[in-house]
Amino acid sequence: MQASESTGGERRNLYQRRMLEIRGAFEAGASGTATLAARTSAADELVSELWREAAQRNPRLAAGVSLLAIGGYGRRELFPYSDVDLLFLLDAKVNEKDLKESIRRIGQEMWDCGIRVAQTVRKLAECERFSEENAEFTVALMDHRLLIGDAGLYARLSDETMPKLVERDRDRILDRLLELTRERHAKYGSTLFHLEPNIKDCPGGLRDIHVRGWLKMLDGTMADSVTAAHEAEFRQAVEFLRMVRCFLHYRHERDDNTLDWQAQDAAASMSAGVAGDRDQSVDAAYWMRIYFRHARSIERALKRAIEDLPPRKRAKKFTLKRDRVPETAGEFRIERGQVILGPSPSGSPGEDPAHDPDVVLDIFIAMARTGCTLGRETEERLSQALGLISANLEEGTPLWSRLQEILVGPQAGDALRAMHVLGMLELLIPEFHGIDALVIRDAYHRYTVDEHTFVLIDTLHGLETTPVASKLEWGSRAEWASRFGALLRELPHPALLYLMALLHDTGKGRSTGDHAEESARMARGLLARLDLDSYESELVLSLIASHLEMSSTLRRDIFDAETVRAFAGKVQTPELLRMLTLFTYADINAVHPDALTPWKAENLWRLYIATANYLDRSVDDERVGAQEARELVDRVSALVPDQRAAVAEFLEGFPERYVLTRSPEQIRTHFNMSERLKEDRVQLDFRYAPAFSELTVVTPDRALLFANMTGALSAWGMNIVTADAFSNRKGIVVDSFRFTDTFRTLEMNSSEHERFVKSIYDVMTGAMPIEKLLSGRRRVRRKAPKVVVQPRVEFNDEASSHSTLLEVIAQDLPGLLRALSLTLAAHGHNIEVALVDTEGETAIDVFYLTHEGAKLEKKQQRALRAALLEAMEENAR
Amino acid sequence: MQKIEAVIQPSKLDAVKDALVEIGVDGMTILEARGHGRQKGHTEVYRGREYSVDLLPKVKLEIVVTDEMVDRAVSAIIASARTGTIGDGKIFISKIDEAIRIRNDERGEIAL
Repeated sequence: MQASESTGGERRNLYQRRMLEIRGAFEAGASGTATLAARTSAADELVSELWREAAQRNPRLAAGVSLLAIGGYGRRELFPYSDVDLLFLLDAKVNEKDLKESIRRIGQEMWDCGIRVAQTVRKLAECERFSEENAEFTVALMDHRLLIGDAGLYARLSDETMPKLVERDRDRILDRLLELTRERHAKYGSTLFHLEPNIKDCPGGLRDIHVRGWLKMLDGTMADSVTAAHEAEFRQAVEFLRMVRCFLHYRHERDDNTLDWQAQDAAASMSAGVAGDRDQSVDAAYWMRIYFRHARSIERALKRAIEDLPPRKRAKKFTLKRDRVPETAGEFRIERGQVILGPSPSGSPGEDPAHDPDVVLDIFIAMARTGCTLGRETEERLSQALGLISANLEEGTPLWSRLQEILVGPQAGDALRAMHVLGMLELLIPEFHGIDALVIRDAYHRYTVDEHTFVLIDTLHGLETTPVASKLEWGSRAEWASRFGALLRELPHPALLYLMALLHDTGKGRSTGDHAEESARMARGLLARLDLDSYESELVLSLIASHLEMSSTLRRDIFDAETVRAFAGKVQTPELLRMLTLFTYADINAVHPDALTPWKAENLWRLYIATANYLDRSVDDERVGAQEARELVDRVSALVPDQRAAVAEFLEGFPERYVLTRSPEQIRTHFNMSERLKEDRVQLDFRYAPAFSELTVVTPDRALLFANMTGALSAWGMNIVTADAFSNRKGIVVDSFRFTDTFRTLEMNSSEHERFVKSIYDVMTGAMPIEKLLSGRRRVRRKAPKVVVQPRVEFNDEASSHSTLLEVIAQDLPGLLRALSLTLAAHGHNIEVALVDTEGETAIDVFYLTHEGAKLEKKQQRALRAALLEAMEENAR
Repeated sequence: MQKIEAVIQPSKLDAVKDALVEIGVDGMTILEARGHGRQKGHTEVYRGREYSVDLLPKVKLEIVVTDEMVDRAVSAIIASARTGTIGDGKIFISKIDEAIRIRNDERGEIAL
């Protein structure tokens, strides 16, 4: 007994010394692969020695039993603190009971040496069975290796049992393996871009390398279409990850595979795995990019291996969203969910469609719409062609219109990821390069900056397709997703929100203080290259610059009117508020899968409502005064030098809302129009655009003005989406209408633009009676409404100090605005301010009214309510 | 050892955290909560739809401190969370029998 204990002690010491040597060699520069091999052979020696000792005690080990290494140990990949998986394989004749003590003893000895051992005992026949519940065993068994014992028995396993098992259950094993892989990836948000990745289990981790190996093992017929370059890249990635895992094991002194921040710093400080001088330290963010590059090649290699499986063998869930009916689009087609680019028509490289930016962008549009992926050869060709695509690329409106199509596609996130991997996104938007795989450390973020951006875009698209929540889901995440989703569906320009989302963090790539400001500064150049109009680009820039405002306001008391007032002052317009609300929702969600709690969503919604209400109710009282408007006057008069006094006079008395929602250029236009009123008392400014056209009238205030404008627009079949009417101290009104062109009159026929403006002008001057214009109008066919909106008429005397606020909520029908404004005029009420908005099928019209310069009396309000309801009913018939 | 549970206005969380850290309490648990006491909810009307707020958002903060720290911690919370209006929240204090650090099994005050 004494003797055996001392041998045990010696053995332990020896083994531990050996482990220290291996560690020393690794720290002196030995590769990960060499380290694994060294630990494997040390374990092999130990196990064989223990077996031989056991065999001396127990003669039953002599035949009918073999000892196998399986799993990572079977592959000879024992990381410093990995478990050692042993299989005792038994012939049918052998009784397990007779071996129990020997097996226990071997296990015990190994534990005493500090090895975490997992022992399994199986009869040969049991190895042939595959069960979905314990697929892990079969998978581990695929990496079997004989350590010692009955060689004949082992040969039966490796030459008969295993081939039979694979032959019979190949599809089940494959399905289960892919399912397990998918579940594992889902646990990590299906992305490899984590700030602190688990380098074994994350997508692009070591486990993916094994899965790729098993797929190849299971499918012997698999076409090996991997190019030498890709294979070399893959081998390098394997080598790198092995080194990192050894490094982590030694650092943590256990099987902990999380590449946390401290470990990243340590690895970077010694340039682990970086070509060149090992003593030279590198920046941790730079080192992580190297990690991500390797992880990406592993992810890609696995993806390819899965694609190479014959379709019958692919797990359905892996391809569900991609396998659609083949589509064709001229230069490329979609087959089995993959984009296949056609050859150049004449065979000459000069006509290769891969060099044509239009074709290439169309490919990404198709990907954003359908979720298809790039075929291998296509990806290769595009990657080769980047330089030529860049040279042929036309910027400006054509690029923006294609980029918009990509951004609004339901699978935009994946299309953008594919563009990013290929380098195509950086080609279009070099500003994005700075945040490529960028790790910014804070306690909350889970993903790298670029991946955070894509997750954010995924979240917004997810909202777009969220169905209306049922009663059961109230208070849940689903309810909030459905409420915010409704808000998103009503945005007039969703592409601007997506563009803003794509750019919001680009400033993080530069080490300046305020990344929001920096992102906005960087975006300015891109917006100019894309040729966005000034309204759109101002909107995008303000959103980027203020993208943290709502989150920071949420940390204050959102039930305090002062908080809401200050926040409203920053967002200024309902459109910006709506976009910022949606952005904030998605931004919180993209930080971390659990970050957006129903509690946060509810607070966000409350702040949104309170601010939206505030914006509508505060308009009348917050007017440009002689004093406080100095900055505004400065901005506008910079554009019209020498007329500072006249500009100040023009602006005085306008609601601040007017000034805040217009660019200085627009205000200059209105100012110039007001200057021309002496010659002609009706000034019109018409801006045509395919989506929303805008018409502004500047004229002295008078009765029926608003009613006649809305009537004239409706006679032309124009559907007013938003409108506002403001007046200054001198009674000059600026009424602006943004509308869609129901009959596409203006779109089809540019010569009609002039006739359109002339007829509006004639109505305004009185040359053409509005009734005559209306009698000739085309009736708009009325579609049955999807949502029925009950009309509501509300008065509020508190919102303004000198006028009564009227809010009308109604079904958005043609002629509604005219019906309302005619009723107001008929009652002798004056519109001080009008704010007209539409949300889906709901019209929300806010009017600030006075009657002979005073608020409306209760009696007048009652009469007006009845008349308005009647007018709406009449209009709806 | 005693446990202090404080239900406070979410907007006061940063101030309370800072005040506690200042007196040497750096470990705390924070929960998003909803509730109401005397401060009842209200109704917001937004674009013709009514949204009632019956339960107001609150933050619940839990700390466990040594007996001699209790008074200082409570004063710090009150000083930083008070606005003097309804809805400022409440503090509850209870005895704690044992504290155990999971990592190394340390017990008692040393585990705090």
